[in-house]
Amino acid sequence: MPSLRVVSADEHRDYLATLPTASFLQTPGWAKVKPEWRSEHLAWVDDDGRTVGAALVLYRQLPRLNRFLAYLPEGPVIDWSSDRLGDWLDPLVRHLKGEGAFAVRIGPPVVTRRWTAAQIKGGIADADVRRLGQIPPLERSAAGARVVSQLHELGWRHQAAEGGFAAGQPQFVYQIPLVQADRTPHTEESLLKGMNQQWRRNIKKADKEGVEVSVGTGADLKAFHDLYVHTAERDHFTPRPLRYFEVMYDALNEEGATEPVSEMKLWLARHHGDLVAATLSVRVGTHAWYSYGASSTEKRDVRGSNAVQWAMIRDALAAGATVYDLRGITDTLDADDSHVGLIQFKVGTGGEAVEYAGEWDLPINRVLYKAFQIYLARR
Amino acid sequence: MSLTLTVDGPRWRAHLESVADAHPGIVPVAKGNGYGFTLGRLARKAQWLRDRGHDVTTLAVGTYAEIPEVATRWNGDILVLTPWRPFVEPFDPTLTKRVIHTVSRLADLDQLLTLAPTARIVLERTTSMQRHGMSARELWEAGEVLRRRDDIRLEGVALHLPLAQGNHLGEVGRLLNDYVAAAVPERGAPTLWVSHLTDGELETLRQQYPDFVARPRIGTQLWLGDRGALRVTATVLDVHPVERGDAFGYRARTAPKSGHLLVVSGGTAHGIGLEAPTGESTIKARAATFARGGLDAVGFVRSPYSIDGKQRLFAEPPHMQASMLFLPSGARVPAVGDRIDVRVRYTATTFDRVDIS
Repeated sequence: MPSLRVVSADEHRDYLATLPTASFLQTPGWAKVKPEWRSEHLAWVDDDGRTVGAALVLYRQLPRLNRFLAYLPEGPVIDWSSDRLGDWLDPLVRHLKGEGAFAVRIGPPVVTRRWTAAQIKGGIADADVRRLGQIPPLERSAAGARVVSQLHELGWRHQAAEGGFAAGQPQFVYQIPLVQADRTPHTEESLLKGMNQQWRRNIKKADKEGVEVSVGTGADLKAFHDLYVHTAERDHFTPRPLRYFEVMYDALNEEGATEPVSEMKLWLARHHGDLVAATLSVRVGTHAWYSYGASSTEKRDVRGSNAVQWAMIRDALAAGATVYDLRGITDTLDADDSHVGLIQFKVGTGGEAVEYAGEWDLPINRVLYKAFQIYLARR
Repeated sequence: MSLTLTVDGPRWRAHLESVADAHPGIVPVAKGNGYGFTLGRLARKAQWLRDRGHDVTTLAVGTYAEIPEVATRWNGDILVLTPWRPFVEPFDPTLTKRVIHTVSRLADLDQLLTLAPTARIVLERTTSMQRHGMSARELWEAGEVLRRRDDIRLEGVALHLPLAQGNHLGEVGRLLNDYVAAAVPERGAPTLWVSHLTDGELETLRQQYPDFVARPRIGTQLWLGDRGALRVTATVLDVHPVERGDAFGYRARTAPKSGHLLVVSGGTAHGIGLEAPTGESTIKARAATFARGGLDAVGFVRSPYSIDGKQRLFAEPPHMQASMLFLPSGARVPAVGDRIDVRVRYTATTFDRVDIS
C-alpha cells in the first residue's frame, strides 16, 4: 500500500520525467501559473521506497476562513487502473484534511467514452440528436467505468461538466490520435487524409498564399497578446493579462532544468509581415495540447488558423507525441447552438471526441462544502 | 357456480397492443398465478402479440417450475426471473436454446457454465432493493470469468428496481457503469433487462445509453393495466332468511338482527379472505388477526363482495370454496344464480373460470 509524503518541486518533476506523460496541470510549473493558490507537491512511495505517484495540489482559501478547497486539476498522477483506488486516495484525503481542506476536488485523467469524427458529423446533421451522449459511442471504456464505479463507492461526487467552478476542466475534449490503432505513428499524409476536405483545402490555400508559420520566443508574447485581446473583443470573452502568459511561458519552459518535463511554444503565422494567427502549444512527453489561440479579423481568407494548427500538429508528430489535444468541447450537437461551431472546427481535423471521467469532489466538512456550493451557485 | 373473471376481450386486447406499441422490446411477465389469468393464457397472449408483429421476443417467468406452462404456448425465448441456483432441477433439454438464465452470484456463474456451457445468461446487478444480484466487484470478476471462455452466450444485465419512488435514473446510470466496467464479452448490443421504470425514464435512458438495448419487463401494467376491461363476479348459491338470534354456520354464531344469509361462490381456495399483505405485517399475522378478533369482537367484517354497489359483511370466515354473507333486512335480496361483484387482488386470486369475449 503506497504511503504519501510531501516532496519538493524538483523531486516532483524528476518523477514526472520518468513517465510517458502527465497533464500539464499536474506539472510543478503549473503551480507558478496559479500564484493566488497555495500549492503543494506530493508523492506516493511504495514499500521499497520507490516513487509511484505524484500530485500537484492547489489550495484555494474560503473567504475569511482558514479552510481550503484542495484542487488537483487533471490529477493526481497515480495508477488509475488499480482496483484498489482507496489505497491511493485515502492517504491523500487524510493528508489534505490535516492541511485544512474542507473538500478535495480531483480530475481523474481517465477516458470513459470516445466518438469518431464521422459519428459526430452524423449527430450534428441529425435533428433528433442534441447531445453527444445520444450517439452510441465508438467505445465505452471498462477501465474508465471502473474508476467511476470506485469513486462512487468511496463517496466521491461527480461534478456536472458545465457551469459551476470557474477553474473546472472540461469533461469532453477533442483529440487527434497521432498513432494508429496498432500504435505505429501516423504520417503527415495519413493525418491529412483524416481531415475533411475543407481543412485540407485551407491548409493548402494558406501555403499558396504565402502564410509563414514560425516559432517565437518569450519576446514575441506581446505580439501574441495584442492579437489575443483583439480576438477577445471580436468573440466576446474576457482576455487574460499579458503577465499571465509570460508567467505561464516561463513556468512551462523551466530555465536550466536538466530534464524539462513540459515545453510551451509560441506559434506565429504571418502573411506578408502581418500577424494573422498566433497560438500557444504545450507538450508533456507524448501528449501535446493546443492551449490558446488568436486570429486577426483581416485576411481571414489566407487561413492562418489552419496553417498554424497544422504546424503544431506536425511538430507534435515530430516530437514523438501520441496525442494532439485540441482541449475542451461542449457536448452539444444541436445545430442551432452557438457552441456547435467550435466542435465543427475541431471535427474537421479528423480525430475523435473523448470523454474523461470529469471532476469529482469529496466533502470533508459537509457544512462548509454545502456553503461553498451555495456560494458558487450564487456567483 | 363459480368465481369468474370476465374480460371484455376487444378492450383488453386493444390495451395489450397499446402497451406493446408504447414499449418496444417489451418482455411480458407471466408468473405466479398468471395475474389471475393463468400462465398458459398469458403465454398464448404473448404469442398473439408477437404474431401481430409487436417487438416481443422474450417472455419472462418467475421460476423454473413455470417454464413447462408457457413453453408449449409461446415459441420465443423464456427468461427466468428468479436467479439460477445449483439446486434448480434440470428442465426439458429441448428448451436449452430458448431459456435465458438470470445469474446473480459469481459461484453460480462458474457452476452453471460447468453444467451447461452453452446456457444463455443474464447477469443480475443488485439494486437498492437488495434482493438478488452481484455487487460491482462481483460483476467485474464475472467479466473475467466470461472473457476466459469463448463460447459463452451472454444476454446482458438485469436490474430489479424497487417500485417507483422518485427517479431511478441516477441509480440505473451507476449500475450500468458497473456493467461497463465488467467488460463482459458480448455478441451484439448490450441489453438491459429492467423493470419499474416510468415511460419517461425509459426514454431518457435510451437517449443516454443509445448503444444499449433496453428491454422493459412489464407484468401488472400490461395484463391488469386497464381494470375497466375486467370484472370479477361470484354466483349466489343459496339464500336463507334469518331472524335475530338464529344460529348458523360452522360455529353456531347467532344473527344480530333479522335479514338474510347469502352463500356465495369463492372461498379460501380462491384466495378470498386471504388478502396478501400490502405493507408491514406478515400473511400469518394478518390471517390470525382476521380469524381471532375480527368477527367475534366487533361483529362482522367487511367482505370483498358487493351487492348493488354496497360492500357486504362476512357472516363468518370464508369456507374453502364458498363464503357466507349477511344481508340485513331492507336490502334487495338477490336470487340463487345471480351474479354479484367481488373485488379481489388479481395476483392472489384463483378464478374458477376466465371468460374472455
